[in-house]
Amino acid sequence: MSGAPLIHLDGVSLCYRLAKQRIPSLKEYAIHWMRGSLKHEKLWAVRDVSVEVRRGESVGIIGRNGAGKSTLLKVISGVLKPTEGTARVTGRIAPILELGTGFDFELTGVENIYLNALLLGHSRAEVDEQLDGIVDFSGLGEFIHSPIRNYSTGMVARLGFSIATAWVPDLLILDEVLAVGDTRFLDRCVRRLERFEAAGTAILMVSHTPSAILENCERCLWLDQGRLVADGPAEEVLERYGDFSHSSQVSA
Amino acid sequence: MNSYLRYRDLVRNLVARDLKVRYRRSAIGFLWTMLQPLLTMLVLTVVFSNVFRFDIENYPVYALAGIMFWNFFSQSVTNSMSSLKNNAHLLTKLPVPKGVFPLAAVIAGVINFTLAMVPLFIILLITGHPIRPAMAFLPVAILLAAAFTLGVGLFLAPLAVMFYDTIEMISVLLTLFMYLTPTFYPMDIVPDRFLVFIRFNPIRSVLEVFRDPIYYGKIPPLSHLAVTVGVTVVALVIGVLVFRRMSDRIPFYA
Repeated sequence: MSGAPLIHLDGVSLCYRLAKQRIPSLKEYAIHWMRGSLKHEKLWAVRDVSVEVRRGESVGIIGRNGAGKSTLLKVISGVLKPTEGTARVTGRIAPILELGTGFDFELTGVENIYLNALLLGHSRAEVDEQLDGIVDFSGLGEFIHSPIRNYSTGMVARLGFSIATAWVPDLLILDEVLAVGDTRFLDRCVRRLERFEAAGTAILMVSHTPSAILENCERCLWLDQGRLVADGPAEEVLERYGDFSHSSQVSA
Repeated sequence: MNSYLRYRDLVRNLVARDLKVRYRRSAIGFLWTMLQPLLTMLVLTVVFSNVFRFDIENYPVYALAGIMFWNFFSQSVTNSMSSLKNNAHLLTKLPVPKGVFPLAAVIAGVINFTLAMVPLFIILLITGHPIRPAMAFLPVAILLAAAFTLGVGLFLAPLAVMFYDTIEMISVLLTLFMYLTPTFYPMDIVPDRFLVFIRFNPIRSVLEVFRDPIYYGKIPPLSHLAVTVGVTVVALVIGVLVFRRMSDRIPFYA
């Protein structure tokens, strides 16, 4: 574990400002604004989180629904800007917050490979280079030339994963995306993750299944109501989390 | 700035898709975008050269240049807003620089604007309008128009994501501004009490820098150019600043 951290979060908080009455109309907004009757409810999804992740680390994130896991990944990916604190992330990020974001269902698989990779910040030349590899990994065969509206959900997910992981990143971010595809494809995904780890990629993954984190991560973060409750070896944190969710289920 | 360079292939792809959709949709696609301003010009010529008389020489050229400019401006502004709105859901999942969508919309608009020069030249030839060397100035004029339009588009696009009725309201404003801009009527028919609105309408300056080389065959006077460059820079700077401030909030509204 050498050099500067890849991820450096310092006191990161993120607040969703929800309008009390939904005002999606410009006219209504103007009227409420003039009356001074705009009310917002603040929802702090992430509160005062400080974390460092270094090269080659694989870190899992657990917590209940609404604990702020996905929001934290969005902050680290650069999709959301923290309301307070600073988030510094260096190196090339491959954020997979959802498989197949940005696919155009009227376009063919190949056309979508280009579109999607460009959205991820790759150049045309880079895609040209990797195209065959992406098609191979997806295992879509001849389907790659037909519009993806003909694909099954699993096929779309496989294509999405193949594109997003075609390049070895410095940081791979996975939000609950390993739950797709058949077991054969899952095996290939896991092997690819192992290759990334060997190459020094840091991996950050959210999962609701503790076993998935135990298998892939040595370190684990536990979020509850936006706060970082625990940060340590995966086994320990998962054990504490297991006790906690068990007892809260009993009391509930 | 750096990140925009990294995403330049994405911008190119978005522009190509925009043009493809526009030219594929209707049966005569490409021909229609050429015919549309010509037909408008024809109607205006019939109305204003015969019914209400404008005392202006070679009215078709004057009107066509005005319509082309206005089409470019209003379509690019509207497309900047709708393209950001239509792609806003991506911005909740991918760290794409948000300005690529309005930028691509304006670039596609510039390409259409440039293609529309073909029917304009045909009309110049048919009406025997003198083609003067001042027309070499047109690329600069189009560049100024593009920068001004991008500024307006960046200013308005985030609002279109936040409120569903923005595009509809802006369409009304655009129609109002079309009448406040001498696109198809000469300045000297405007009554004195309205003149101030038209004189201080920044879009007029940008339009005249484009139309002067075509219609009058001369490069606009330096004082007018200076004002237009100033107006353009102000529009672009305000647009970029507002967009940068507002764009962080876009993922919350998508």
